[in-house]
Amino acid sequence: MTAQEIRLCGLLLREHFGEVVEKVGKHLLRGGAQNLRCVGHEAGLSLDLVKKTLCVLVQHGACSFASGRKGPGSPTEYWACCDRILRILRYPRYIYTTKTLYGDTGELLIEELLQRGHMTMSSLVKTVADRLTQNMEDGRSVDYSEVSSIFSKLVETHFLQRCPPPPAAAAAADSGAQAAAPAAPGAPTAPSGAAAPSAESFADCYRVPHVTLVGRGKRQHAAEDGEEPRSAKRPRMDSQVHGDEGIYWQVNFERFHQHFRDQAIISAVANKLDQTSSEIVRTILRMSEVTTSASAACTKPLSANEIFRSLSASYNISRPILDQYLTLLVDDPMEFVGKAGESGGGMYIVNLHRALANLARATLESIVQERRFRGLRITWGFCLREERLAQTQRVAARAFIEPMRCLPRPGDVHVGLQDQFFKSMSPDELRKFETNIFYRLTFFLLQEIPKTPDFAPSRTFYLYTVNQLPTARMLLQNCYKTVANLIERRLFESRESKRLLEKSQRIEAILASLQASGAEPEQLTEVEEMITASEKQQLDVLRLHVNKLDSAENQVDETIFLLQSYINSTAVAPT
Amino acid sequence: MAGRGRGARSFSVDSVGISRDSLPVTVQQPTPEFPVMEQKPLPLTGGEEVEYLLALKQDLRAAMKSLPCFIQPVQVHKDVERYSDKYHLNEHSKSLKDWTLDWKRFPKELRLHVRRPHSKGAVLSSVQSGQKKEQEQEQEEGRQKEQVLLNLETLEKKEEQESSEEEGEQEKKQEKEEQEPEEEYDEEEFEEETDYSMPYFDNGEDFGGDSDDNMDEAIY
Repeated sequence: MTAQEIRLCGLLLREHFGEVVEKVGKHLLRGGAQNLRCVGHEAGLSLDLVKKTLCVLVQHGACSFASGRKGPGSPTEYWACCDRILRILRYPRYIYTTKTLYGDTGELLIEELLQRGHMTMSSLVKTVADRLTQNMEDGRSVDYSEVSSIFSKLVETHFLQRCPPPPAAAAAADSGAQAAAPAAPGAPTAPSGAAAPSAESFADCYRVPHVTLVGRGKRQHAAEDGEEPRSAKRPRMDSQVHGDEGIYWQVNFERFHQHFRDQAIISAVANKLDQTSSEIVRTILRMSEVTTSASAACTKPLSANEIFRSLSASYNISRPILDQYLTLLVDDPMEFVGKAGESGGGMYIVNLHRALANLARATLESIVQERRFRGLRITWGFCLREERLAQTQRVAARAFIEPMRCLPRPGDVHVGLQDQFFKSMSPDELRKFETNIFYRLTFFLLQEIPKTPDFAPSRTFYLYTVNQLPTARMLLQNCYKTVANLIERRLFESRESKRLLEKSQRIEAILASLQASGAEPEQLTEVEEMITASEKQQLDVLRLHVNKLDSAENQVDETIFLLQSYINSTAVAPT
Repeated sequence: MAGRGRGARSFSVDSVGISRDSLPVTVQQPTPEFPVMEQKPLPLTGGEEVEYLLALKQDLRAAMKSLPCFIQPVQVHKDVERYSDKYHLNEHSKSLKDWTLDWKRFPKELRLHVRRPHSKGAVLSSVQSGQKKEQEQEQEEGRQKEQVLLNLETLEKKEEQESSEEEGEQEKKQEKEEQEPEEEYDEEEFEEETDYSMPYFDNGEDFGGDSDDNMDEAIY
């Protein structure tokens, strides 16, 4: 939990759950595992409020609890999970993906589940059916079975999973079969006591319960005069039992991340090669969706025959052409696809980790290109390539120096390949180039290789190398900082124009009520004129800014996802 | 050595063998707050997908504000305690009541008991699926209180009126206690024993803060 992560988590919690939750959440993130009294004391809030907050956090999976470390009698301890809170940034992307895959119903299912954390299948289906019915024209409604079928499909493709049972129950129930939580990225560092089992270790994780759910979505009627006493009450809560009490569902984020990763790889192949190759890669990935675990380095080997059979007919690829394409993909320096054997016409795999590394490298290059001096970019790309070659060939650094072209200090005799490059720069540019390197040494590692034993600056080689992983980590922290800044700026802008916003909201409310009760157009125009033209302009500008900042957050999150996936893939790499 | 103080260096330029130009630039003052960027950043990508994602994000934020998960910040006590505070406080606490949690999934210590104030004898029981004893106790209490009210009412009103009222209340109360209690929350008929509607308790502190720009008219 770096400072930037905590700051960003705090802002996200504030926007979605309120300031109280932000305060408590930040204390939990900073302090590690703590018990209830400790949290309440530090946060300085009433115990009731702290309890409510912890309930909210646990409900959304941001906080876990376990019995204390000191033995069975000690109070329960709570710890918050940073990664889970940071995922809030990605919620729109999850919802949009489900929309593209499963339509409006799927979109609403995921949206409701994300808003509430955990839900039972019956309540989820009912809520979504009601929402769908409200948006339809009068007289039509949505049957529960339609929504249930989409729900089942989501579970089959592992987008939804059951919540694991809470730790107390699990410890009591099966002492023998308690599986250790796998080291999935994003799992909290649990104390050595009864650790909370992850969802995957639960055997029935993806089994849809048998639910008796018959009916159609209900439309909420506007309160009419005759029904005044009834509508004054909240809608009656259904006390029917549907057979799935106690079984709660949550969104399976890892599966979504796999999907995003696959999409990134497919679009990279499409950009680099062509549409057909990307279709082939898409087929391979789709076939390995549920068989490959989230942290695997490559997909399971698939024979060319199988690929040929699963290719969609619309592409009309004959067998020899498929083989050609596969060979092309294997020979590509990006190494997206690898060959794993000869049986069945050739076994092919997709190198997931290498693909992620390449994607991360491309991201880093483009970031440097956009933000830095142009000379740095060329050197950077050069260094990255050489670094990678050195790694793959496992050549000692010493032996590699001579063939590698070193960057001489200005004023020296220029050596090597970079001749033309350096000659093209004026002395001014050269100096700026040096300044950029020396004052922002964060990207480059410097190594001095002396020609003579006395380390005289004019007679040593200065080797600049780039280490991809630490740089990616640093850039990831930068991204967190960026998003936090964007959110703060957006809040600032809204705060500045709070008065104006409130006024416009009130006028809209008046307009809406006037229209509902059927007013004349003159009255409407009169109300509209209560906002002057300059205020309208101010409002437009404000809206434009807020939209831009919001959109920027979404796009930075794409970069965050790529870098996170890359870093996590290296962490799980076999030693 | 050329110069002591700010320009002092530990080595002389000539002996080390570098030209004066290659030394890093000395910093004379703090760097500007918003330095001029050499390259403007690229514009954000537009397109349908991006717009849809933006709309989703804003909708999600707005929706979460109205959910029971959104915990309102603690109201800061203003300078003096006011009489109308009693009636304003209840407005915010209602959000907890329609938030049903499965308490089996939470540790015992986090369970919250909420008791709402008595209202005309019909007591609304706590959020936690209460034990039977608690409910029965409350029923008894409610009945007792109603008895007292009844006695008072017989002194003032006619019998027919009060019996029909009593029946109505009994029915309502029983209905409420059979199912999970819901709230009859209407701003106009408040739960407290008042005859005044909510706008009566408006402090008037919010008035006059809106139109700050038109200073032509004097505000007395």
